[in-house]
Amino acid sequence: MEWVFRNDLPIYSQLVDRIKLGIVSGALPPGARLASVREMATEAGVNPNTMQRALQELERAGLVFSQRTAGRFVTEDEKAIDDCKRTLAKGQIESFLEAMGELGYDREGIIALLKEDE
Amino acid sequence: MAILECIGLSKRFGKVQALEEINLKVEPGRVIGLLGPNGSGKTTLIKLANGLLTPSQGEILIDGMAPGRESKAIVSYLSDKEYLPDWMSARQLMDFFEDFYEDFDRARAEEMLRHLGIDETMRIKQMSKGTREKVQLILVMSRQAKLYLLDEPIGGVDPATRDYILDTIIRNYNPSAAVIISTHLIADVEQVLDEVIFIQNGHLLLQTTVDEIREEQGKSVDQYFREVFKC
Amino acid sequence: MLGKLLKHEFRATGRTMLPVFAAVVVLTVLANFSIRMIENDMGTMLNILFGLVIAAFFICILAATIMTIVMMVKRFYTNYLKDEGYLMHTLPVSVHELVWSKMIVSVVWFLATFLLIWLVIILTVLFQTGTNLAEIFAQLPSWEEIRAAMAEIGVRESELWLMLLESLLLTIVGGLFTCLHFYAAMSLGHMFSKDKILLSVVFFVGISFVLSLASTGYNVMRVQNFENLLNAVDSARDGLRFVRTMLHEGLIVELVESAALYVATTLSLKKGLNLA
Repeated sequence: MEWVFRNDLPIYSQLVDRIKLGIVSGALPPGARLASVREMATEAGVNPNTMQRALQELERAGLVFSQRTAGRFVTEDEKAIDDCKRTLAKGQIESFLEAMGELGYDREGIIALLKEDE
Repeated sequence: MAILECIGLSKRFGKVQALEEINLKVEPGRVIGLLGPNGSGKTTLIKLANGLLTPSQGEILIDGMAPGRESKAIVSYLSDKEYLPDWMSARQLMDFFEDFYEDFDRARAEEMLRHLGIDETMRIKQMSKGTREKVQLILVMSRQAKLYLLDEPIGGVDPATRDYILDTIIRNYNPSAAVIISTHLIADVEQVLDEVIFIQNGHLLLQTTVDEIREEQGKSVDQYFREVFKC
Repeated sequence: MLGKLLKHEFRATGRTMLPVFAAVVVLTVLANFSIRMIENDMGTMLNILFGLVIAAFFICILAATIMTIVMMVKRFYTNYLKDEGYLMHTLPVSVHELVWSKMIVSVVWFLATFLLIWLVIILTVLFQTGTNLAEIFAQLPSWEEIRAAMAEIGVRESELWLMLLESLLLTIVGGLFTCLHFYAAMSLGHMFSKDKILLSVVFFVGISFVLSLASTGYNVMRVQNFENLLNAVDSARDGLRFVRTMLHEGLIVELVESAALYVATTLSLKKGLNLA
């Protein structure tokens, strides 16, 4: 199944986000071997160069490492994965706060609302 | 070396200037969208690259050679016309391609025909328009060429076939080969492209990467194209 | 690659020409049968039927002859100048190979049609006179006799062979010339974006005009030589030599004209191709 992309962001950065999500959610567990660039590109329905660029970005971020002959693997560094998870979570919170702010809620208001919901 | 290079390339038909002073380079390993409104010169550029037209001025080079016998051996071309002899069957056409192109991979063509449910013994004449287009594309994509020139490959096909075509282009990806796709259906092909070339009224407007447009403009190539070529 | 082009061209033309040839052979047998039947007079209705078969036979022979020419023109036009041109002109072959493959195949069909018609005539003669091949051959002079007769007037055997060879060459060059006349006209006409067919016809007429002007001019120039040669003829041997000289002249003129048309064809395909 092809992936759906937003119009306002580079495709490679959307690929990075998708793969990060897979790693932190455990769909791609630590140490797991990634499919080849071409296979991943075919699965996502994107240009292999774009997929390559996304994977390089992930390597730079330390979430993925490559072994010359064996291919690419998800990092086994749990801390790096955790950090990534936190960064993603913070990003989500930030946009959530922003949206709530537009509705006129401050932090306390939001917390009260969350508790009320329980 | 660039697989395709245009140097001051111009083409005139009588008084009509179809292309003017085009300078561009296409590197191997790229999938490139040749984009422009109808009549902008896309087909003329592709025909020049195939040696079907001769430049009025300037040069066009394929892997460093002027179009000719040698360049044709490494270029796989899909015309926007129905150009297969209609009395031939898919099997006879595979014989034909096998005879003339050393890089033709018959097993691959047979596989694709099977996948799309096309009977090899059927003659082109007996096929629907859509099936004919599929056979043309299968023959063209079954070559291991260095340059693929696809003129409106997804023009008349159904969405499932379009996906199959784009899938084939990705699967067929080869770091030493370039693919040039001319189309006006940008949204459909955008995510398989690395680069785009915009041409208008025979002039080169822009050659850049898809992600650069998205990064700088904050919009898709399709949206940006509509903005640039607003009527 | 020329071999491969020839193979595919024979395949493409054979599927039309072979059935036509087969029809000619079948109709030859039927027509000969019909002639006998009419001689036996088995009733008006049957006579009309047999008459129709004979008419069909003549029409079929005429059709076969016209077909070889039509085929030659049509193959070049549809394969190189219409949509199929997108396939043919992007093959890794040279323009020369493209033109030669069409010419060779057309000339082979010309010769085949020529031989077929001779075959039909021989068959009919055999059938109608009730003789057999052996009898006919017995009546023909043997090669020995021909040679002896020629030797008597001072013509060597080698000259006889040369004459045969030259006649064959003239036939082949004539065939090539016919092809190239059409090819050049069509290739030139199709360099333009509009009225391609009309312009092809104009070029055809124009080429005919220019070439006949040129060959007439040449003949006028040479007329003194021809006259001198003719005046010098005072034996059968000289007569034969004179015929051969004329044959050579004709061959050279046709070769030069064909070469000019060949250059026009290949140049317009190479530099002026303009597929719609």
